[in-house]
Amino acid sequence: MLKLSERKEVVPQNFDVIIVGAGPAGSMAALKLARAGLKVVVLERGRHPGAKNIFGGLLHNTPVLNEMLPAFWERAPLERHVFQKVLAFMTPTSAVSLTFETEGFDELPRNGYTVFRPVFDNWLAGEAVKEGAQLLCNCTVENLVKKDGQVVGVTVKGREGGLRSNIVIAADGVLSFLARQADLRQDFRVEDMGLGIKLLLGLPKETIDERFHLARDEGADISFLGTTDALRGGGFLYTNLESISIGMVVHLSSLKASGKSPYQVLDTFLKHRHIAKLIKGAVPLEYSAHLVPEGGIAAVPQVYTGGMMVVGDAAGLCYTNGINLEGINLAMTSGVLAAETAIQAIEARDYSAAVLSLYRQKLDDSFIIKDMKTFKNAVDMMHIERLFQTYPQIISAILEKIYRVEGTPREKIMKLGRKEALKKVKTKDLIADSIKVGRALL
Amino acid sequence: MIVDDLPQFTQFQVDEQTHIVLDREVCKSCDHHACVHSCPANCYTLNEETNRVDVVYENCLECGTCQVICDKNAIDWSYPRGGYGVCYRLT
Repeated sequence: MLKLSERKEVVPQNFDVIIVGAGPAGSMAALKLARAGLKVVVLERGRHPGAKNIFGGLLHNTPVLNEMLPAFWERAPLERHVFQKVLAFMTPTSAVSLTFETEGFDELPRNGYTVFRPVFDNWLAGEAVKEGAQLLCNCTVENLVKKDGQVVGVTVKGREGGLRSNIVIAADGVLSFLARQADLRQDFRVEDMGLGIKLLLGLPKETIDERFHLARDEGADISFLGTTDALRGGGFLYTNLESISIGMVVHLSSLKASGKSPYQVLDTFLKHRHIAKLIKGAVPLEYSAHLVPEGGIAAVPQVYTGGMMVVGDAAGLCYTNGINLEGINLAMTSGVLAAETAIQAIEARDYSAAVLSLYRQKLDDSFIIKDMKTFKNAVDMMHIERLFQTYPQIISAILEKIYRVEGTPREKIMKLGRKEALKKVKTKDLIADSIKVGRALL
Repeated sequence: MIVDDLPQFTQFQVDEQTHIVLDREVCKSCDHHACVHSCPANCYTLNEETNRVDVVYENCLECGTCQVICDKNAIDWSYPRGGYGVCYRLT
């Protein structure tokens, strides 16, 4: 890994492309560009790629990763492949869960792997370096350098001089100060952000295998609804080989209005009976937090301007519909699409916005924007307050009525369901919520 | 609570210069102090008597919550210099 020496000055150099951020989007772009024989440099503010990066825990199957690095799973530092998907509805005193397992998830390419970002991102950046990309760590990019309205380089915080290139790819994460500086986006809004917090807990492999009914390198991915103390959001749990990633993502606007502290909500979640038995005896290893772009397609900024493209979280390419939560696969794919565009622009020696607009077109034609459009109404659905406390309570109440034996006459499921629901929600709200959920998912 | 032992679990390369600067006059007149309760690393504290907000940048996880949640433009927040700040090992 190349590191910038202790010199205070960055030697002015001209690159074909400067990539800001050695996360999954930046490194995939670097890999693609280096393979095309271009002079590319990646600037990473951490001491190593991944040092600043966190996510829930799941690297989704990403066809473009399989294409660029065939059979990467034989070499990449992966934890477990996700075999078991669980959706759990929780109340403070109960838990209802739906578990899905299929042998199909054991086949290659696997549907997803749990990974540690500081480890995986480091590995992926290393693959780009092997192909000839230059990696400079310990470099926080501060400003864009512009000439005639076009981006032509960047400056690095605390160092004189700067780096010049024909194209800058901003892979600088959810808080893309570069996209803001280039006037590609408005200021960051609480309405468009989620806060993810996570605790990594160490447990022996055998204990995890037994508790979650897993074998070999099989892993579990559990999503929780109703564990966020009425905040809009959800909990997650992923199994790694010898540890568990557990945490939650909450809407920032909801957190702000509540006056609650995120770590207190996490603490209550960890003490829930159902969770406490899963993590019993575990040793805390690391605590982390980061914002997540959750504004959906409406919050995607302009993704290009003269001399610059924006990829991954920096471009808000992330979505959730309550069941799927995808970002890293969108990020890696967008990195490759931006790199493809850069290659075409460099061949044509034209780095204008008109040429780089091809990148947006490529995004539109890919699953990235298509999926974000398909679930554009999910953003609205995820703002239904009742989804995060009232409905999990209703589901639990219905099941309790169904299972409890009391020597009193029973009612059919529809009737008792309606009764339990109306105890907690008004008919008109129930209808309005059903419409929103329907519009989002059905 | 987990956050109390934060520096034991999570590594930091502390810079001698802060990357978070508060406009204390604005903070004094703030009606919600959302930064104080929302920070997942508990970096912010409010002195109820003097209404003064203080921040400990050394434990900052660089999540960005405070500067997005502040609607008074009172938090001047930037990424730490290269190599400094939080340094995740696993997570």
